Amino acid sequence: MARIVGTLRFLRALVAMNLRASLALRGAFWLQAAFMVLNNLVFFATWWLLFARYPEIGGWRLHDVLTLFGVVASGFGASVVFAGGVRDLARSIGEGELDSLLVQPKPVLLHAVASRTLASGWGDLATGVGMLWIAGALAPGMLGWTALAVATSGTVFTASGVIVQSLAFWIDGMETLARQIWEFTLTFSLYPRPLFTGEIAFLLYTLLPAGFVGFLPAELVRAPSVPLALAALAASLGWTLLALFVFGRGLRRYASGNRILP
Amino acid sequence: MPPAIELENLRKVFRVRGRAHGISGSVRALFAPTTREVVAVDDVSFAIEPGERVAFVGPNGAGKSTTLKVLSGILQPSAGRVRVLALEPGRERTKLAFRIGAVFGQRSQLWSHLPAADTFDLLARIYELAPADYRQRRAELVASFEIAEVIEKPVRQLSLGERMRCELVASLLHRPEILFLDEPTIGLDVVAKATIRDLLRERGRRDGCTLLLTSHDTGDMEGVCERVLVIHRGRLLLDRPIEALRKSFIPMKRISVVTEEAEVHVGLPGVRRLPSRPHRTELEVDLALIGVDRVVAAIVAGARVLDLSVEDPPMEEIVTAIYRGAAPVEGRK
Amino acid sequence: MSGARLAVSTQKYLAIARASARRAFAERAVLAGRVVFLGVILFIFSRIWETVLARGALTVSGAGKAELIWYLAVTEWCVLSVPPVFLAIESDVRSGDIACRLVRPVSYVGAQLAEALGETALRLLVLGPTGAAIAFALAGGWPADPWGLLLAAPLGALASALAVLSTAAIGLSAFWIVDTSPIYWIWQKLAFVLGGLLLPLELYPDWLRALARFSPFPAMLWGPGRMAFGFAPGAALETLLELLAWSALVAAGLAWLANRARLRLTVNGG
Repeated sequence: MARIVGTLRFLRALVAMNLRASLALRGAFWLQAAFMVLNNLVFFATWWLLFARYPEIGGWRLHDVLTLFGVVASGFGASVVFAGGVRDLARSIGEGELDSLLVQPKPVLLHAVASRTLASGWGDLATGVGMLWIAGALAPGMLGWTALAVATSGTVFTASGVIVQSLAFWIDGMETLARQIWEFTLTFSLYPRPLFTGEIAFLLYTLLPAGFVGFLPAELVRAPSVPLALAALAASLGWTLLALFVFGRGLRRYASGNRILP
Repeated sequence: MPPAIELENLRKVFRVRGRAHGISGSVRALFAPTTREVVAVDDVSFAIEPGERVAFVGPNGAGKSTTLKVLSGILQPSAGRVRVLALEPGRERTKLAFRIGAVFGQRSQLWSHLPAADTFDLLARIYELAPADYRQRRAELVASFEIAEVIEKPVRQLSLGERMRCELVASLLHRPEILFLDEPTIGLDVVAKATIRDLLRERGRRDGCTLLLTSHDTGDMEGVCERVLVIHRGRLLLDRPIEALRKSFIPMKRISVVTEEAEVHVGLPGVRRLPSRPHRTELEVDLALIGVDRVVAAIVAGARVLDLSVEDPPMEEIVTAIYRGAAPVEGRK
Repeated sequence: MSGARLAVSTQKYLAIARASARRAFAERAVLAGRVVFLGVILFIFSRIWETVLARGALTVSGAGKAELIWYLAVTEWCVLSVPPVFLAIESDVRSGDIACRLVRPVSYVGAQLAEALGETALRLLVLGPTGAAIAFALAGGWPADPWGLLLAAPLGALASALAVLSTAAIGLSAFWIVDTSPIYWIWQKLAFVLGGLLLPLELYPDWLRALARFSPFPAMLWGPGRMAFGFAPGAALETLLELLAWSALVAAGLAWLANRARLRLTVNGG
């Protein structure tokens, strides 16, 4: 029990450090956040233009895409702000940066992913929350569902990132590929569910879990229901456990040292 | 009182895969891997008592870092018995982590965009230090290492020497019983090196902390430690107190002197003239026969000296000399 | 400059371009990444267009799903072929390397352009056929009037060249503004929106289309892209002239910037 309290305090300290590190960037922080907002708006502009012409696409309307965007952007933003270390995990593994973490008495994965933050994530969070507000998802009755949706989106995204990046324990030169898969997961999450059918849809729930990062959480906000909420919780839990398992296995391999020697 | 560190017949073998090029190469390697075994550490045994300051020296690839990693719980041994503070590093890593510290010369645990003070606060959380105790300990270390002005500046604005001092303070905050140091003075200038060595020695004495230090630099060895373990190609060649090592195995000094005169001759026994250039004379002094001070005095008396330096022969030579001269594992004398 | 010296200079730049192309070809992983990305985008949009046009909704210029996919293939081909030249120049400015190079008779900017264009040429050559293959598969064949694609190729290549010139200018601005990434990102986003990267300009509201015409971007993306809708030599010529005009303008701007940079260096010293 004391160990858990200690770990929670540690986590809080890490979050505070990251915030301080972001603010230490000063001008650059605002710039990066602002540009991410701009980036997201431009991306959304395409949809806005499309829906101006064709009011309905596959049963979805602009409002639905707004909701999807809001959820994914918020979840993604939270992920890169609070677990920014995931993006560079493969590189950390490759360069032996886990060594100094292994010597310290705190869980290695937690330490590794929570030690870094991306300032641009605040821009994503801002865009996401803004969109959710416009879509009416932040109204008192909806807030709970929305929060769960965003949490699910961010959790599954982080977990799948950890899994892919952890492949670096087994495969050399994984950094670029891991980064690309990470980006593709995000890309696919941002497009409405009705666009994808058949085998592709299946892949998007498993390999690149865009289904759990985008579709499912968005649906939870569009048409909330208890079964969906349970599904979301199950997805979050399942992916998290899988991530912990894969990383743990990888760490054991790392400790046996059977890798390419530096 | 049990030894702080106990190693018995440590063996660490790496199974290394042939380097694969690119994704297709990696895929091929998955199906038809070309592995070979690299014995990084082969039958190394030693014991270190609490409070000792030990240097672990040897050329690149000798197995120093590997041994250190096994002791600190980063790597699992392939065979042999390892006990650190009576704990098995591989199995009880977290428990041990509270009681040991590590400094990696080439890697920093300080967050570069923030002041070192912030990292100290984070470490207090990592090691679950009581606030009052932490504050007192931090104040003591900051004063002792003279970094009071430096810890409020972002780490990336600090010089390498200042950063290393902060790094050391960071590693000592939780009062570790053992401190592992991997190349702590690498890249530092002469003055900074001397300062770090003094501080380490002092700390070791004051806290009763056991130090295990790996280095290429014999100066680290002589400036901080009382005992030396020489490792070469994964085997322990030598385990001796510093004094003994110096007398037995570093018998020579090199003197390089730049003079106004084109040539300098020192006709003392034990002084040998090495290939030299006009105005720059290289001499080798056999310390068994004559002291460096006498030779230097003779040179200065007989010529107008513009520059003079006295050096140890390089580490490689010492190790080679040891390798040629001694059988593995001499044990303590 | 005499004819002989001109010939020697050109040879030199060609050599740089060739070396750069060879190196880009060696970095297979990066190329593969671009191809995959192109595939993903084309796939996603093929799904979008299929869904949008499922109920037989009309689009533009009689374009159906196939033509729209080919449109995107062309615009993305242009965009993905442009290497991040601004980063290379910015890092030279930051590191101070540029100080020695800029004041020498060998044109630094010329060398950078040659290098970037070499890489661009290679990417165009690789992404062209592969992109076409993917588009062919997703669109279920050629566009209704495939001959337009023949016009799209040279226009697209010229558009990429203009992009290289523009981003080189952005890179040079590092002399005055240390971090050029924000400028680059704005430029890129404007290009995507005003140039009609994903949606042809015909789908835009009138006011936006009118606004876009004041910028070089429609000529760079929509110009080549709309050749997928059909063989239109008139429109192609229009785009060609626009591209040439903008290229001249940007090239002049680039030269002016390079000069100011050189002046700043010789006055301030590094």
